[in-house]
Amino acid sequence: MIFSVERQRALQAFQVPLTEGDTVLTTLLYIHENLDSTLAFRHGCRTGKCGLCAVEADGKTRLACQTTVVPRMVIGPLSRLPVLRDLVVDRRRFFDQLSRHQLYLAKQQFCLGSHRFYPESRQFCQDDPYSSLPQFGVIKEPAEHHNLMACTECLCCLAACPRYDWEDSSFGGPYLFVKLAQLHFDPRNTTDRRKQARELGIGECAECGKCYCPNGIAIYKTAIRPLSGHK
Amino acid sequence: MACAFSFAQGEYLCGKPLPEHTGKEESHTATNGHTGENGFDVVCIGGGGAGITAAVAAAARGAKVAVIAKEPAGYGDTRISMGNMVFPGLADGDSAEGFLSDLRKSGEGLEDPLLARIMAEGAPLATAILEEYGHIFTRDEEGRLSAKVLGRTGGHSFARTVTSGPAGGVPIGQVLRAAAARAGVTVFEETVACRITTESRRVTGVVCFDLPGGTSFFVPAAAVVIATGGIGSLYYPHTDCARGATGDGFALAYEAGAELVDMEQVQFIPFAFTHPGAFLGLYCGEPALAGPAGVLRNRDGKMILEGVSRLNRAEVVRAMARELVGGGGTGYGGLLLDLGPNLALPGGRDLWRAMRDRGQLDLVRKAYGEAACRWEEPWDVAPTAHYLMGGIKVDASCESTLPGLFAAGQAMGGVHGGNRLGSVSLAELFVFGRIAGEAAAERAAERTVERAAGFDRTARPDRAGVGLNPAGLNLQSAGKGIGAPGRYSPMALQRELQKMMWEEAGIARRAAGLENALQALAGIEKKLDDLCIPPGSVYNTGVLDAIELRFMRITGRLIAVSALLRKESRGAHFRLDFPECDDRHGRKRIVLWQEEGWMRFREEGAP
Repeated sequence: MIFSVERQRALQAFQVPLTEGDTVLTTLLYIHENLDSTLAFRHGCRTGKCGLCAVEADGKTRLACQTTVVPRMVIGPLSRLPVLRDLVVDRRRFFDQLSRHQLYLAKQQFCLGSHRFYPESRQFCQDDPYSSLPQFGVIKEPAEHHNLMACTECLCCLAACPRYDWEDSSFGGPYLFVKLAQLHFDPRNTTDRRKQARELGIGECAECGKCYCPNGIAIYKTAIRPLSGHK
Repeated sequence: MACAFSFAQGEYLCGKPLPEHTGKEESHTATNGHTGENGFDVVCIGGGGAGITAAVAAAARGAKVAVIAKEPAGYGDTRISMGNMVFPGLADGDSAEGFLSDLRKSGEGLEDPLLARIMAEGAPLATAILEEYGHIFTRDEEGRLSAKVLGRTGGHSFARTVTSGPAGGVPIGQVLRAAAARAGVTVFEETVACRITTESRRVTGVVCFDLPGGTSFFVPAAAVVIATGGIGSLYYPHTDCARGATGDGFALAYEAGAELVDMEQVQFIPFAFTHPGAFLGLYCGEPALAGPAGVLRNRDGKMILEGVSRLNRAEVVRAMARELVGGGGTGYGGLLLDLGPNLALPGGRDLWRAMRDRGQLDLVRKAYGEAACRWEEPWDVAPTAHYLMGGIKVDASCESTLPGLFAAGQAMGGVHGGNRLGSVSLAELFVFGRIAGEAAAERAAERTVERAAGFDRTARPDRAGVGLNPAGLNLQSAGKGIGAPGRYSPMALQRELQKMMWEEAGIARRAAGLENALQALAGIEKKLDDLCIPPGSVYNTGVLDAIELRFMRITGRLIAVSALLRKESRGAHFRLDFPECDDRHGRKRIVLWQEEGWMRFREEGAP
């Protein structure tokens, strides 16, 4: 079967065998192992959990390991993101975003005492963690939080969003809004995440609902709407 | 009683001396704007639970910290875990002592009692640390962690596991990134630690390769924490680990001169898919999955194991290995797990429904179809590489035998001995990550004082005696480099190594096979000088393949040598030629290290 991969904006076709159950990832691996070891793509767990193998399959954002391959399929890198090589997009900026927008909880009261071990004395020196058990705080996790935390950070939603552009920092994009919504719904959160979302241009979301999530998160409904106050 | 190897079979057991550095190598300075001249107090290699926890703990003590993560931070095996964490003491009658006794029972005498005690007593801390990062474990209606929410995993005498819901470790991967960002530590993503440099047996820094940039650079460090996880990918595709689990940390520690312990103790999970290709090696279940009546059958339908769910991982794998070696395997190289008998039991349907509702049958449906998913057809299953119980030998502050080099998480050895209980590995990341980070920060502080007295922790790579050839590969010796013509593809050699490890150093081992493995590894070593690495600097995966091949070869050799030396079957190590556990000569731990380019070993009485 013919299988094409977009490399540096040009399509390259490969002749590959097709066996039952093959996925886009197994096909990419076949090419890397047998036909062209320069083909660059990311992958990790093969089970849809690590989020590293996101690509566009026939123009649709998909996890390569979870997508059944069909003849004449065309695979490209995620749109709207800077491409490093072949199917690999630059992900480093997304770590920097965490600090820039404080995408974390404030330091929490530590539930358990200090736990130090002194090798010289061969003694454990600690507050007894078991006597401290009741100090584990009560947390009532909203269903929205639970649902949003299934985000594998694969970045498919960014590639699918017509408004998102990595070079335009005035619009954070669905991935960033999911991160803000996770914190918004965390009972321990103390920062106004809606305000942050407004500052990151959530008002410019066209409500088109194209921010498809391969992990089944309804991004517009559970992240963007609660943050933006849209009806 | 240390002694050099003196095997009659030849030199293949003898390490080659480290390549000499000519000083002519291409020399880069740090490239991506993070590393200054001053280096770091603590460098943590690994961006999973252990590495990031060590980094956060060291930063909390005032250390200047960097994390070197081969994948984007938080995208490794911690993320793809089930998110289940041991929490002893919540259930009525349970205690740290009870957990310790289970740990020691399962370790079959190879566990380090001190490390096991730290694990048992520190376990609740792991839950606290992770929730402090932002995770929320499944709680009861009142929002509490209580006995009501506990799961029970195999080998534990009490229900003592807190769980994370269907997404498993995915939220954990996210909060690890958040914790690193909050702590303000420098994170080098998609950067490979290629070599740990030393001077007079002290750690001086880490030579790194930046995959997106295609450059090598040196990060000076006063202390280094290895938290690189495991070895699953040495057995690919027979593994449920992430791609990056190529045994990097063991090779780094070995080359730097630290000791490793019980490297033969590779844990295989008994039930993984055997087909189709995309599913091969992926996790399908623990022994407990078999339920009260599930049995294993061979290709002819003959029952070979009953009471599966009462056995631990190693016991089930061993029974399967015997049958597979004896020719009882199916065409896919597996055995048949028949869960159907459960349906006839009272409550059997409920058991099935519970499993379905937890999402445990989703992959089964995809791979084997609807009837298998309903337990009406048996599943074709084979063991899959999951975890390494052995590893870098450390003391109670996680420091290796090389001063200034620490290890935490799966990279360290000795907590579990010969078998690892479910849900303990997630907790160990945080318990030992924190200890390692704090101890490394202390060690770095001591050395800052020494620096004032003449020790230069900003040592340039040339001073440290290590050049910055791309990837830390010894390409120069053969006059080759990236883009130069060579005969062997690193990826093809990786696949060759993985197939050989699975066949010869996998679930059933024998002396002849292990010697074959060592010979094959020596052959691969020779080919390392004639690699064909495609040209290109930006995200050149050929370079990554070559670096990982080098790590896999070293770590594979450590596993095979250790397996050859352990002439008994104990824990996860099963020798067909020595099928019994040999207690007559006392329980021994096998320690390996490198000295003057030679692999050396000794046997230590287990503590």
